[in-house]
Amino acid sequence: MAIDQEKSIFFEALDIDSSSERDAYVEQACEGDANLHVAVVKLLREHERLNNPIDQPLVAGSLSTAPFEERASPSPIRHSLGAMIGPYMLMEQIGEGGFGLVFVANQQSPVRRQVALKIIKPGLESQEVLARFAAERQALAMMDHENIARVFDAGVTDSGQPYFAMELVRGVPLIEFCDNHKLDVYERLQLFISICNAVQHAHQKGIIHRDLKPTNVLVTLQDGRPVPKVIDFGIAKAIGYKLTDNTIYTRFAAMMGTPAYMSPEQAEMSNVDVDTRSDIYSLGVLLYELLTGSTPFTTARLNSVGFDELRRIIREEDPLRPSMRFSTLRSDLATTVSDNRRLEPTTLRSFMKGDLDWIVIKSLDKDRNRRYPSAAALSEDVSRFLHQQPVEARPPSTFYRFSKFARRNKVILSTASLIAAALILGTGVSIWQARVAFDALHRARDAEGKANQAREDLEDFTEKLKQANVLLASGRAYADTGDWSNAHQAYVEAVRLQPRYFYVWMERGALYARLGLWEMAGDDYSKALDLGCPVDGIEFLGVPQLFFYSGDLEAFRQISGAIKKSNNGSVDTKMRSQLVGDLPAEAAAQIAAAADQLIEDRLSPQPGPRRSITRMPLGAMLYIAGWAHLRAGHHDLAIDRLERSYSDTPNWGGRGISFPLLAIAYDQAGRSEDARQAFEQSEILLDAWLKESNEHLHGAPPMPWFDWIEYLMHHREASQLLTGESPNIAAQLAEQKMRAKGAIE
Amino acid sequence: MSEVTRILNQIEAGDAAAASELLPLVYAELRRLAGHKMQHEIAGHTLQPTALVHEAFLRLVGGNGADKWDNRGHFFSAAAESMRRILIENARRRKSLKRGGDRDRYEILDDDAVIDSQNVDELLDLDAALSKLANEEPELAKLVELRYFAGLSVDQSAQVLGVSPRTVKRNWAFARAWLGRELHLEEDA
Repeated sequence: MAIDQEKSIFFEALDIDSSSERDAYVEQACEGDANLHVAVVKLLREHERLNNPIDQPLVAGSLSTAPFEERASPSPIRHSLGAMIGPYMLMEQIGEGGFGLVFVANQQSPVRRQVALKIIKPGLESQEVLARFAAERQALAMMDHENIARVFDAGVTDSGQPYFAMELVRGVPLIEFCDNHKLDVYERLQLFISICNAVQHAHQKGIIHRDLKPTNVLVTLQDGRPVPKVIDFGIAKAIGYKLTDNTIYTRFAAMMGTPAYMSPEQAEMSNVDVDTRSDIYSLGVLLYELLTGSTPFTTARLNSVGFDELRRIIREEDPLRPSMRFSTLRSDLATTVSDNRRLEPTTLRSFMKGDLDWIVIKSLDKDRNRRYPSAAALSEDVSRFLHQQPVEARPPSTFYRFSKFARRNKVILSTASLIAAALILGTGVSIWQARVAFDALHRARDAEGKANQAREDLEDFTEKLKQANVLLASGRAYADTGDWSNAHQAYVEAVRLQPRYFYVWMERGALYARLGLWEMAGDDYSKALDLGCPVDGIEFLGVPQLFFYSGDLEAFRQISGAIKKSNNGSVDTKMRSQLVGDLPAEAAAQIAAAADQLIEDRLSPQPGPRRSITRMPLGAMLYIAGWAHLRAGHHDLAIDRLERSYSDTPNWGGRGISFPLLAIAYDQAGRSEDARQAFEQSEILLDAWLKESNEHLHGAPPMPWFDWIEYLMHHREASQLLTGESPNIAAQLAEQKMRAKGAIE
Repeated sequence: MSEVTRILNQIEAGDAAAASELLPLVYAELRRLAGHKMQHEIAGHTLQPTALVHEAFLRLVGGNGADKWDNRGHFFSAAAESMRRILIENARRRKSLKRGGDRDRYEILDDDAVIDSQNVDELLDLDAALSKLANEEPELAKLVELRYFAGLSVDQSAQVLGVSPRTVKRNWAFARAWLGRELHLEEDA
């Protein structure tokens, strides 16, 4: 079939770099079949074309397809040496970059000089490019700095390709130069300061580079002294990647070649203006590479992921600090990197650790407001480092770190389940936990010698904390989709990773509780308590009851005592934990009054600020009120609330759990027939629920677990009161447990 | 075990007929998600098909370790095809709405916002070209679906299709050039 032939010739041709050899091959392979020849030539032309339909996204972020990583084929339109482009005669090709070819050219008029002529690949609208260049021209002309290569002119070739004439710099790209000359870290930093000064100069003239990378910083030796020159100022803007443009991906590929130097706001591709701070970010990447020999996110990695992932990495992932990155290098690489800097690997690492790390990290901040405000400020901080003065950059504060964590996890945070609320609390908890660590750090700082150790401990701690938090988030996501086994695995791993972090225990305990595995849940919650976990939050709703129900009265007293003492926290948790166990009638009456107030607020909301902001369902309020009235001896009120908790709230998750209490209330009010009926109703429900749990829910409770455990308690109480016996459900409960255990394996 | 996991296991066990059960399920879920997303996103937000596909995966299959990737390949294959259908249906509806002026404006469904109207014609042309490619080289067309509509990376596509990443890159280059040629035919004439 024709397409097979086309394909094999096409593949062969791709492997041939030289265009003349390629043409010859295609000619010969088609064996005189003119149609085939035309077809293949067209295919190859399409291959060269930048804006293929499937390179362009239908929808933001949907693409990862343009084969730019393997694209190194020659530009389709050749420019022969000696040809005239405007007033310039091409003399020698000196480069081929992502967006075109670079030639040395002789300018004939109005002045005779040699220039670098950059001819942009087809595919960009040349008029647009020229218009944008014209807009920048005045500003470009005002730039005059020894570390900036000047841009003289722009025009369009006969074949419609835009070109730029620039000051000719016979230099070597920055990183290559440094490695070739084995510049040590001081020399590298000196060079970097010059680059910063150049960028500062341009920024003062209102010019943003937008594409700072080592190949755009050429270094020459002048009088034996390395002098960097930043090239292509203003070019990126003239070529102009309008960030909302459909062809952004094409241009992105053409412009960047590698996204390793792109700032998060550039990767964002929204309408956010890219400003001078984007260049600061790119300077940070340069500094990173000067120090460690690699970019914060390696090109290999960025090229291996899809487009969404690539953008996510740039926008969200925190790079390793330079010293850490260096210590993760393979030893042979580390040796090369150190050799190139004329230092022992360990010396190099400790050199970077600390201030240099923080300078780089500050430049690379995802939030541009937190970067250095200007290239000059960055340059000054590097100078301060060189002069062994304290630098401005500082480790990010705890709050900042964790608010960033929360921001990154926004998607997970908004999964809108009851658990999601717990994560927000969890982040607060993390801040608290980290504060403990930071206090330790501050104390250690007093003793100068210990500072590094403390810092390392802290780094280790926060790193593991971060990982543990990620595991917890994925555990929650699994649990929300009912994938107990993977959820469990994630929690177990989180516990292994950060066993000193109470939150991991609490979360795993919550998973066990959700599955009705009371003893296992109790063990984890105990562990969390031992580590100082606050107990008055909504995530502890049901936990005292759990200890009470499983007979651990010591733990029950401890935790309910702590909840009682707390002045804030969740009303729900507080009321329900107090109602368990012995309670003086007066205290019960107070709770009943409070619950009635909640009901009133809910049913007839008053204008003005709400007195309570509890999200407790109305059914639960009625049930709690009924329960409290019962304990206070107000039988009639109890009966009223408990009946309404069933009849008025068809959607309440715990609907039906009031029947045992209702039976007790009727009994105490002397209505024994009603009591018998209510208890019977409870037995029917219990039977149905156990069946549902065992047959459909892997043994998990058929309702929120805290409702279920209270229900089991109340039913046992009612059964003993009315029949003198405990309910005979041991077999079903055992089956539940077995099934639930099976589900997490 | 979810319905979809069951089907994936059946396919894995050699039950080719099960594959036909998979597509409708995946399709329905993606549509639902797309609609749901558009209702809840801020106006002006665009959808990310890749994200949708992964969310659908988590919902329908539940994420599990990479050991089951082979098994998941069928899912992504179905998801890519579904995503293509959803986008094409959208494009067609948009086009007919445009033709009918604003007569039926209220009929625009939530998930219509998936694509920009200016891309409608391009998308429909591409779809036609892709169908043509599928007649000649179904594997190549599948690859385009996976990468273009489901946003899989080179490596992921390689795993789904059971070929090497190198083959994927080469095939992609060919499919891309082939589609480009197909779509530029008129220009040349």
